[in-house]
Amino acid sequence: MTVGMAVLAGGVGRRIGRPFPKQFLLLGGKPLLIHVLEKARDLEEVEDVVITCPEAHLAETVELIRNHRLGSRFRCIVGGATRQESVYLALRALESTDSVVLHEAVRPLVTLEEFRALIALPDENATYGLEIPFTVLKGHDYVEGVLDREELFNVQLPQKFDRAKLLAAHEAARQAGTEFTDDASLFVTHAEGRVRVLPGSDRNVKITVPPDILMAEALYADMIGRRS
Amino acid sequence: MARTCLITGASQGIGRATAVRLSREPWLDNIVLVARSAAGLEATVEACRREAGQSPAIHPMPYDLSQLDGIPDLVARIHEACGSIDVLLNIAGYADPKSLLDTTSENLVTTFTVNVFAMLILSREVVRWMQGRPAKILNIASTAGITARPGWVAYAASKAAVVSLSQTLSEELAGTGIKVYTISPGRTATELRRKLAPEEDPTTIMQPDAVADVIAMLVGDRERTLDGQNIIVREQR
Ligand SMILES: NC(=O)c1ccc[n+]([C@@H]2O[C@H](COP(=O)([O-])OP(=O)(O)OC[C@H]3O[C@@H](n4cnc5c(N)ncnc54)[C@H](OP(=O)(O)O)[C@@H]3O)[C@@H](O)[C@H]2O)c1
Repeated sequence: MTVGMAVLAGGVGRRIGRPFPKQFLLLGGKPLLIHVLEKARDLEEVEDVVITCPEAHLAETVELIRNHRLGSRFRCIVGGATRQESVYLALRALESTDSVVLHEAVRPLVTLEEFRALIALPDENATYGLEIPFTVLKGHDYVEGVLDREELFNVQLPQKFDRAKLLAAHEAARQAGTEFTDDASLFVTHAEGRVRVLPGSDRNVKITVPPDILMAEALYADMIGRRS
Repeated sequence: MARTCLITGASQGIGRATAVRLSREPWLDNIVLVARSAAGLEATVEACRREAGQSPAIHPMPYDLSQLDGIPDLVARIHEACGSIDVLLNIAGYADPKSLLDTTSENLVTTFTVNVFAMLILSREVVRWMQGRPAKILNIASTAGITARPGWVAYAASKAAVVSLSQTLSEELAGTGIKVYTISPGRTATELRRKLAPEEDPTTIMQPDAVADVIAMLVGDRERTLDGQNIIVREQR
């Protein structure tokens, strides 16, 4: 079975000022995207890595990959207007692989072990997930109802899917005009088959809002043994 | 005799805040502003006028300090226009934060040219005119020059060089009446900082006028003991 990887690096922004394209933010001195790709480089089982990025940042992303000597398994493609569209384009680009691992540049603290455990899992489709440690309620301006957090989990990348099945699910979603912010949701809505949930890690944080990078710096310092 | 202060990096940030702060100093007759952006310098002139009216005289002199060969002539012109150069504030600075593998030779050369070589050549040239009268040079280094800064290797190394050259010049110029000061600000809300930490909320960190207050205190006549040291300027909250 051949394994491919799609890495979403879709942030658009200006180099100076906000919004800043997050994939290029430095963590411990290295761009977030490079943290992820260095791990992909160490995964012998992954044969083809496709990075989706906005057209405006394509040249810069290609240059990063060259500077960091990541090798010929890595290639960049222009992503779509939405996250879902970018995944769809990556799935098509990874045409010679059976299984595809999905990850995103903004989760730089993923570990090699997490990738390896996911790939080694006998299930075809799987996602990491975290228990929800806080209370969740329904509503916006007013509380409209209670959600049982025991029934829920927080979706965490990386994920893996049977490439052909996920691609077919994407095509069905395009036909139906449905939009998802995650592929496990898209898969369970538009494909047959189960998605296994593996316990995620509190450390595999997603860099979304500005304070996240501060937290990631602290976690990274701990990981590399720099914390006193 | 008229007294003159030359400020580089005066088109924005700490340099502008310092010009505005110093325009309130009664002992100064001329403030010369240097940076590339003529529009930025004009805005600084306006801000000084709002602060202090018509005195001291403010002279904007747009110049690209990466053009090292023209610096002697620039300094000579300033001396001719003002009659003296009593204080040099080396504030201009450049940063393009990159990981080691993404740091181009051009980035390294520009960083060291603006942050280190221009500072040294300016110092050499003004010292020629300062000889024989009390004068001060103040160089801005950075806390980045004294601790590891992954991702900022060129900038941090250039600032370490600033700490070093300032200490050397302070000793070398001892006895001439020229005092050399070094300050190392921590994070300050400016464009340069925004490049270094794009996700940071600038309202939560030290503002440029806090650094300007320290500079005004150091270059004032009453201060005569803090030269030759690397003075850390950090606002603790
Ligand atoms: N902000 C911080 O957190 C921080 C902390 C420690 C030290 N510092 C130091 O403080 C100094 C002032 O920086 P800042 O924070 O106020 O940043 P800033 O607002 O970006 O100002 C930098 C100044 O340097 C000038 N400059 C840059 N390249 C130049 C060139 N080739 N020729 C002439 N002028 C040039 C710029 O003017 P033009 O673009 O118009 O040329 C501008 O006036 C720098 O030396 C910086 O390293 C800053």
